[in-house]
Amino acid sequence: MLSWEYVAQVVVSGLLAGGVYALLAMGLTLIFGVMRVINVAHGEFVIIGAYVTYWAFALAGLSPLVSLVLSIPILFVFGMVLQRVVIKRVIGAPQLSSLLVAFGVSIMIVNVALYVWTGEYRSIPYLEGSLRVGGLAFSRARVVGVVMALLIAAAFFAFLKWGRLGKAIRATAQSREVAAACGINVGRVYTVTFGLGAALAGAAGTLVSFMFSFYPEAGLVYTFKSFAVVILGGMGSYVGALAGGLILGLAEGLSQLFLSSKVGDGVAYVLLVLILLLRPQGLFGGPGE
Amino acid sequence: MAQASSDAVPRLERRDARAFMAAGGAFATLFLLALPTFGTAYTQNVLIQMFTFVALASSWNIISGFTGYMSFGHVAFFGLGAYTYALLVTRAAVAWPLAVLAGGVLATALAAAIGLTCLRLRGHYFAIATLGLGEALRIAVLGWDDVTGGGNGILLTPVKELVSSYYGMALVAALAIGLSWAVARSRFGLSLLAIREGEIAAGMLGINTTACKLWAFMLSAVVPGMAGALHGRFIGFIEPASIFAVLITVQMAVFALFGGRGTVSGPILGTCLLFLFQEQVWARFPYLHLFIFGLVLVLIVLLMPKGLLGLLEDRGWIAKGVVR
Repeated sequence: MLSWEYVAQVVVSGLLAGGVYALLAMGLTLIFGVMRVINVAHGEFVIIGAYVTYWAFALAGLSPLVSLVLSIPILFVFGMVLQRVVIKRVIGAPQLSSLLVAFGVSIMIVNVALYVWTGEYRSIPYLEGSLRVGGLAFSRARVVGVVMALLIAAAFFAFLKWGRLGKAIRATAQSREVAAACGINVGRVYTVTFGLGAALAGAAGTLVSFMFSFYPEAGLVYTFKSFAVVILGGMGSYVGALAGGLILGLAEGLSQLFLSSKVGDGVAYVLLVLILLLRPQGLFGGPGE
Repeated sequence: MAQASSDAVPRLERRDARAFMAAGGAFATLFLLALPTFGTAYTQNVLIQMFTFVALASSWNIISGFTGYMSFGHVAFFGLGAYTYALLVTRAAVAWPLAVLAGGVLATALAAAIGLTCLRLRGHYFAIATLGLGEALRIAVLGWDDVTGGGNGILLTPVKELVSSYYGMALVAALAIGLSWAVARSRFGLSLLAIREGEIAAGMLGINTTACKLWAFMLSAVVPGMAGALHGRFIGFIEPASIFAVLITVQMAVFALFGGRGTVSGPILGTCLLFLFQEQVWARFPYLHLFIFGLVLVLIVLLMPKGLLGLLEDRGWIAKGVVR
């Protein structure tokens, strides 16, 4: 029934999607790690990135990979503006205010997207067809997507590790007060962090746009997929996000194989609830809360 | 002098307020009970929807207003109630009032299951888990299409008269108000407020926080389940996209927060004001419905986090603790 090749193909294809899920979650984990804000509008940022790519392709014929140079800066600026105008006012307030504000922002984005771009399903005919390795065939879009995701993640890590601003961000994440005492402008770090988180979401959106079809309300699915990944890996952990992404991708692949293709995006939710039930601190987290 | 000037502001004091609210409440109840005898079909339709949202906002308020745990997926209970009702009525020919009760029971059971997994944790985990809940149920209904009819939905036998829907929904709204009133004046309600203001401190005082949160969550799910069932019966057709719409969760949250979280009258006040406003003003911009709600939500959190009642209290127009 199930040939060995078929299983291997599903597993690898799930892992490929998982690499992109890891990037999807990275922005979320950055914003949470530094600002302790749960950005429930994350999926909507992803969708904005996807639409930027879509329109650049449809109107100007720009290759989706090139349009990363559009989606990243656009979301970066968008994130910074959002932080300056709204999020700034709820940092330090009870955590639930920032949740509510981000939720409000997310539904505003969905509505504008529906209004401007209609609810139609979009997809980009790019990198169609498959790559054959041995007896196995993999979607070219997924292979390119995961390579780009890993490159972007690596660049982001290098920035956090060696960049001056990256160091300031890490310092602020560890202790806001001590960072401020060392002369770091914490307000500015927050602004840049939120911008970067949004930019990472935008980059993930570009990659997602040619791997899957999307529509304005799809942001919700990406939000909770990102959460599933982040919680799997432990909140605020980047290596955890990578592992979590791969696990989610794999779980989705396997469930399609053994259950039915109808479960689709429900897998992420079941995984999320299971991990909250069994190991809420994440697979690699310490005892935590 | 500052004292004198603040005394000069006319203020609703405790005794006046009690009498005023009792009289107003009694009058409103009688008026609403008698309305089907003289009101037009349109008025009754609007009121049925308003009752629905009073029921939903008051229920949401129990977990999110009193306890401070944001439920972003409360529409799941509403939708589950509607589907339970529709399946029982169409497949098992169960009498409709029983099917409505069943909707409430199943919603409570779902709340217990979700609550047991994520209420042991802090608020943000709960918010995240509930955020996906409505969407997960929608996917489940779509996937399980040989039973639920999938995206085609379920067509119910049309109910021609409005009276049963009107009184049914009014009863459900009254139940929600009664529940939140019972919570507000009980020791249990105080425990919930203590959890909201400082969960660790509440635990230190000997409050079993996990059990309280779980009860609050279950109490907040029972009426939405019943309201969903009645809503399904009232509109005669349910399908996943509209019955699990994020907008419904947003509406209950915004109505409750606008009136004043953690109070009995806040969600009622918020629903009455904003729902009528929505009918009159927002209805002209149907495409921006969600946007306006999002904007209002952000503005409430930034400008009046305690809602209208809290604002009036802070301004000194209502004495503190009078209106609950």
